[in-house]
Amino acid sequence: MSLGRPLLRTSYSEDTAIFPTWFQKGAASFLLLSLVLMALGAPVFGDIPKFLLGNTWLNPVSKTLTFAVAALGINILVGVTGQVSLGHAFFMGSGAYTAVVLGGASDDGWRACIPFHDNLGLLEQQGECGLGLPMWIWLPASGAVAAMIGILVSPAAVKVRGLYLAIVTVGLVFIGLHLGRMLPEYAGDFESGRKWPKMDIRLWKEETPLVALNEDGQWFGLIYLSEEQKKFFFLLAVVMLMMWFAKNLVRTRTGRALQAIRDRDVAAEVMGVPEFHYKRLGFAISSFYAGIGGALFASLNGRVSPVDFGLLLSVDFIAILLIGGAGTIAGTILGTLFVELLPRMVEKLTAWMTSKLEGEGTISAIANFLLTSGQEGDFGPISISTTSPGWPMSVFLWNLVIYGVLIVVFLIFEPLGLFGIWLRVRNYWKGWPFSY
Amino acid sequence: MTAVAEKPAAAKPGTGYPTVASRARDWAIKTPDHVVMREKNLGIWKGLTWAQVWDQVSLAANGLLSLGVDVGDRVSIHSEDRPEWVIMDLAAVAVRGITVGLYPTNPHAEVEYTLNDSTSKIHLAEDQEQADKVIELPAASFPSVERIIYVEPRGIRRSDDQRLLFWDDFLAMGAEYRSNNPTELENLMAQAEADDVMTFVYTSGTTGPPKGAMVTNANADFAMEVILRTKERVQGGKLPGPDDSVLTYLPLCHVAERIFSTWQLVSQSVMLNFGESIESVAQDLREVQPTIFFAVPRVWEKLYAGVQIRGADSSPIKKLFLGSFLKLAAWIGRSRVANGGGWTIGARLAYGIGWVFVYRALRERLGLRRARWTGTGAAPIAPEVLEFFMGLGLNVYELYGMTENSAVATCNLHGRVKVGTVGEAYPAIKGSVRIDEETGEVQTKHLGNFVGYWGKPEQTKETFTEDGWLKTGDVGEWVDGTHLKIIDRIKHIIITAGGKNISPSEIENALKTSPFINEAMVIGDRRKFLAALIAIELDTVGNWANRKNIPYTTYRDLTEKPEVLELIKSEVAKTNERYARVENIREFRLIPKELDHEDGELTATQKLKRSSVEDAFADLIEDMYT
Repeated sequence: MSLGRPLLRTSYSEDTAIFPTWFQKGAASFLLLSLVLMALGAPVFGDIPKFLLGNTWLNPVSKTLTFAVAALGINILVGVTGQVSLGHAFFMGSGAYTAVVLGGASDDGWRACIPFHDNLGLLEQQGECGLGLPMWIWLPASGAVAAMIGILVSPAAVKVRGLYLAIVTVGLVFIGLHLGRMLPEYAGDFESGRKWPKMDIRLWKEETPLVALNEDGQWFGLIYLSEEQKKFFFLLAVVMLMMWFAKNLVRTRTGRALQAIRDRDVAAEVMGVPEFHYKRLGFAISSFYAGIGGALFASLNGRVSPVDFGLLLSVDFIAILLIGGAGTIAGTILGTLFVELLPRMVEKLTAWMTSKLEGEGTISAIANFLLTSGQEGDFGPISISTTSPGWPMSVFLWNLVIYGVLIVVFLIFEPLGLFGIWLRVRNYWKGWPFSY
Repeated sequence: MTAVAEKPAAAKPGTGYPTVASRARDWAIKTPDHVVMREKNLGIWKGLTWAQVWDQVSLAANGLLSLGVDVGDRVSIHSEDRPEWVIMDLAAVAVRGITVGLYPTNPHAEVEYTLNDSTSKIHLAEDQEQADKVIELPAASFPSVERIIYVEPRGIRRSDDQRLLFWDDFLAMGAEYRSNNPTELENLMAQAEADDVMTFVYTSGTTGPPKGAMVTNANADFAMEVILRTKERVQGGKLPGPDDSVLTYLPLCHVAERIFSTWQLVSQSVMLNFGESIESVAQDLREVQPTIFFAVPRVWEKLYAGVQIRGADSSPIKKLFLGSFLKLAAWIGRSRVANGGGWTIGARLAYGIGWVFVYRALRERLGLRRARWTGTGAAPIAPEVLEFFMGLGLNVYELYGMTENSAVATCNLHGRVKVGTVGEAYPAIKGSVRIDEETGEVQTKHLGNFVGYWGKPEQTKETFTEDGWLKTGDVGEWVDGTHLKIIDRIKHIIITAGGKNISPSEIENALKTSPFINEAMVIGDRRKFLAALIAIELDTVGNWANRKNIPYTTYRDLTEKPEVLELIKSEVAKTNERYARVENIREFRLIPKELDHEDGELTATQKLKRSSVEDAFADLIEDMYT
């Protein structure tokens, strides 16, 4: 009966549905289906992904997916609970280290896992610590350990707010970096890192994995997939699961409590929302996501060093949140895609334009206008020469500028981020033919 | 007269005359799981099936029996529209009692008058606000009232008035009574007779105290048969049915909402939707998107003004689209009006284009996207308003009737609409409407004619002619020999000092099509020229003032702004252009306060009480003529 009456709600479950209308259900299914088909090599959107991200476009997308998991976490903490944190890189790192200790291979067995076991206090590597456990142990455990640390940190959030909390959490990042330097048995060499657990699904420590993700091959005897495709599908499944959980968290009683604290913690407490409990919960869940994301990121990359989990990464997450739209799941995913893939796209576009420099026509003219080789008489804002500090700037520098400008622009003009733009477009049509 | 108009044969022994209650029971047996009521509560529209509704009615009826309600006893209901209103109404009829409805806006004095005039025995008060109107006075003020049943317990529980009874406890009493006397209710319903009075409908009382018009089971039966089951009135001849839904929002004690809600429910199994409150009608309408929608002119005018105001506030591109497509709609409206509500190919085509760009969305915003039949009645409406909504593709039909003839008089039929008239006599009872040649008064005679005013035989007698025709008190004329045009109430006709007869309603309605004018009263009886008292619409004029950067504080302050005076002056001038010189408004004054039921300036149905307004603002009137 309520078909065709989208505003008529006959139950609360209808009211809080993730996709309240059939149109939205259809659109979401279509998006997912086309993503899967694209990954399988079907030309759904033609060569657009290849053009923008290169022939191995699945790799950066997979990396983005691991970041998306961690970004969902910062969204729960900053976007939903309203606790500003710059320590997300630390939580991501602690997840990654848990994964490597539990899942990584070891030269010396468990003895290597006792810090300073041979040579007290010296910054010398004594061998690598690792227990070689399967993924079903190290993946959840990395989340759990990160969550635990999050719970330990959370009392600070009750003590201090806003900027001060941000500074407190920045401290975590430096502690993390220091530990990385101090504990080479875990972290490997500070600069170059160490080997990380492979993304294979095993029951225990057997030789042939149950589901192999690290080599091309037949999957479940059904379909032949490359390594990249396998990893992509695995990560896609994990991200979907994490999104589903995050979305459900936001639309439940717990989620409403977290949002109440975001909007005003004192008022929330007056309404009967225990502030400490929910701030702790926010930290725990957020860190759990970060831990999982870190573990997946490390595992996907194969070799990561402690410096990767520095302050810049934390800032990256804040940027993701601001550009995507704080407090929204879809916005977080959009923001991650945007922040992680945009630099690569700019690079690819510049490379493409460079290749068109010699030709004739409009594209060539635009390329000529924008690009410069740095020689006399060749003007343009983007330098393609390898040795050109200062103006004209290289693509890498331009990416940093774009990144900074975007944050400023979004903060000032669209605080709700990309999701806010979508909201604006939607509301424009929702109100049609009126404005309210 | 045809078959419908003949008095029905006595019902078969043992089944009783079909009442609104027995019809509800029959539906509950036939389609027990069909959802027929929805009530919005805390954001959720909760459904009630026929079986659930009938169970509640049965419990309430047994509850009434346990409270000693006898055949012919009065049960009064003072509540906003909610399922309990309908349930209590049906329960009272089931035990052969009589329902008396009160307007939620009725102040203390009117409640006291109505309860004592009807000598109500059981009183249903919705909540503390309504209950207070009874329990704040000494019990001796209401000698007949034995129990006061309340539905919303908040703020009442603490009162120690012995007459108070909570709805749930009342139903529990009914359940106990039912288990002890399982067949009594059925027996009573089987004894129902055609001449049983089923409800008193109190007239709004524009002059003198309200009178309780007695409506019998036979009257109701006739009204349902004629109004609801006339195929010619609906597009495609598709009568209202279980697939249809309505929003129940006008006061249920008024005969119009009773017909389009309660009677439509029991006769056609149409689903009733009860919104959150009278303030949320626009939102509720949008959510429910009813298929059948009846509104009084005031509501249509509000919807019309809403489109204009919100349109003026929208962004430039939207304004451009809305503006141009409303112009197109105006053309479509004119074309449809010229074709009796039908469509020419050109209008269809234009509408098809407009549907894609504006009309579909606009109708959705208004809550009329799915409305297949919409009606107006109970007061005169300006043709411009009807034309506007016809241009949006709605089928709008003006009906005419009054409590005293069970609202059965005339109706615009599908494809034969004449805007500006109230339609023709129902096809089944063609000869039932006539115009008295001497006075020009419209009169009706059919089975819907009521049996009289409760306790007022004198006034009852005055209402009928010697040969049994009901005098409506309206002056009318025939248009093209078939359609009836109502000119005005007889007593409202103005005779100017120059001896010219003028109908003020027509001019007032033309004024009211302006979104800035809420109410207007034309004056001029035995005067040199016509003048008007005008009440501005606070929302729209306030919005206009904001856009013009005119600061204001209160309603009164707004009425005293020279800019507002200029605005209304131009609106009056626009209306004057369409009338002959003698019918022009030469002077007007703005009423410095919002007209209100409580202050006695309006009736419960928001009609002007002319004498009260004339008294209250006598100085303004005199000022215009000096």
